[in-house]
Amino acid sequence: MTTAFALLRKQIKDSLCNFQALMVMLIYPLVAFVMITALGSEDGMSGMFVTMFATMHASFAPLVTASNILSEEKEKGTLRALIMTGVSRQQYLISESLFVVSVTLLTGSAFLAMDVFTRDRAAAVAAAMLCGAVLSTLAGLCVGILSRNVSAANGMAVPIGLVTALLPMLARFNESLDRAARYLYSGQISRVLDSGKLSGEFAAVMAVYTVLLAALLAILFRKKGLE
Amino acid sequence: MAIVKLDKVTRSFGAKQVLGGVSLQIEKGEIFGLLGPSGAGKTTLVNILTGQLSCGGTAEIFGMNCGRIGREVYRRTGAVLDNCGLYERLTCMDNMKLFACIHHISAARIAEVLREVGLNGSERLRVRSLSKGMRQRLQLARAILHAPELLFLDEPTSGLDPATAEEIHALMRRLRENGTTLFLTTHNMDEAYRLCDRIALLHEGQIVEEGQPAAICRRHCSDSELHIVTSDGEDLSLPSLPQNAEVVAALMREGKLRAIHSAEPDLGTVFLRLTGKELTQ
Repeated sequence: MTTAFALLRKQIKDSLCNFQALMVMLIYPLVAFVMITALGSEDGMSGMFVTMFATMHASFAPLVTASNILSEEKEKGTLRALIMTGVSRQQYLISESLFVVSVTLLTGSAFLAMDVFTRDRAAAVAAAMLCGAVLSTLAGLCVGILSRNVSAANGMAVPIGLVTALLPMLARFNESLDRAARYLYSGQISRVLDSGKLSGEFAAVMAVYTVLLAALLAILFRKKGLE
Repeated sequence: MAIVKLDKVTRSFGAKQVLGGVSLQIEKGEIFGLLGPSGAGKTTLVNILTGQLSCGGTAEIFGMNCGRIGREVYRRTGAVLDNCGLYERLTCMDNMKLFACIHHISAARIAEVLREVGLNGSERLRVRSLSKGMRQRLQLARAILHAPELLFLDEPTSGLDPATAEEIHALMRRLRENGTTLFLTTHNMDEAYRLCDRIALLHEGQIVEEGQPAAICRRHCSDSELHIVTSDGEDLSLPSLPQNAEVVAALMREGKLRAIHSAEPDLGTVFLRLTGKELTQ
């Protein structure tokens, strides 16, 4: 517990000094805030923008942040230093995942404060954001394990993040893309944010992605370790 | 008591064999130096001993197979390795606090260790603003924070100015006096000669010589020669033969003998004789 707390405290301090990491976590809430401020609350477009940016936030930010943290620790050798003090690899992964999910939810809570999601939709929105943060973090850790350094991680995480983040937005304008987006976890998140209701389809897609990404993470972890 | 035991340790990367049957033991409380040029396999051996690489043969540390070492062994070891970095955006104190927290060590001990390595007053500096020498000291401080029984040092003074290197040497001697065993890899023969109780010369993954530095040099002293410096400043080299005893005696009688040295080769020369290669290559 002490180790987990120490890792969490280290990550908070380190991220606060890391402008790039801060921007990734803050950019979508900031852009959404600017958009709804510019459009005004009477315009129906503001709800659509907040939903879009919240989906992007939940699918892009944790993926890039998790992969960056892990790959940077590998590149700089700090992960090796931690492991050589007796910190287990699993302990490290759990601590970093908790950090990424917590920060995503904390910064994502700004969307709830934007007066777009009514109170009765808040629980569904929070659940969807939580699912998105967890799944994107798992994907980010997979990318981090596969990457030797931050550049390689960004080269992999950014395209994956853009596809998962942008497809639900593009699906609004194209029926074929909309059909495809149904099977993407970010597409389901977008639907829940739009409707404010959790569906069986949402639960099924989340369960499938959780199993797939957790299995992929376990396989990569066993095969490549963290170094 | 041997706390590190290697028996016919092998390691290959693809088709390239980096270690080809290394056997050695390291006793408690000694400074053991592993000398070899770049690419000899020194870092690979340290990585095996610290559980980061698997190997063939037997590698044990505190009686535990290096392939299975866990928290208990890590708590008894420290390491200053090239690939063990520091959190550059954090301060020296934040870096130390993280590891102190993991090891359940008090803040007072952090201050003590920072003072010991000469970093007191630098607690609030961010690591990215530190010089190479200061970073090395911080790594050393981190490594000795939990008072390990065995300390691995991979080229600890590489690229440092002589004054900083000497301070690190002094610290290493103090650690040995306090009972810490040190495993040092270096290609600096002078450092190994002055600092180590025992050394092993590693060449292309094989130990080619092992023992006390001075004993190794004496063992490879093929030219039995005396170097004499007279009070006139003249340098004389005499074969160490009975007929030259009178020359030496005469110089002494006349009060002209300022210095007399035997002519053992240095470790670099020994390495060159054994392998045909320079130690610093």
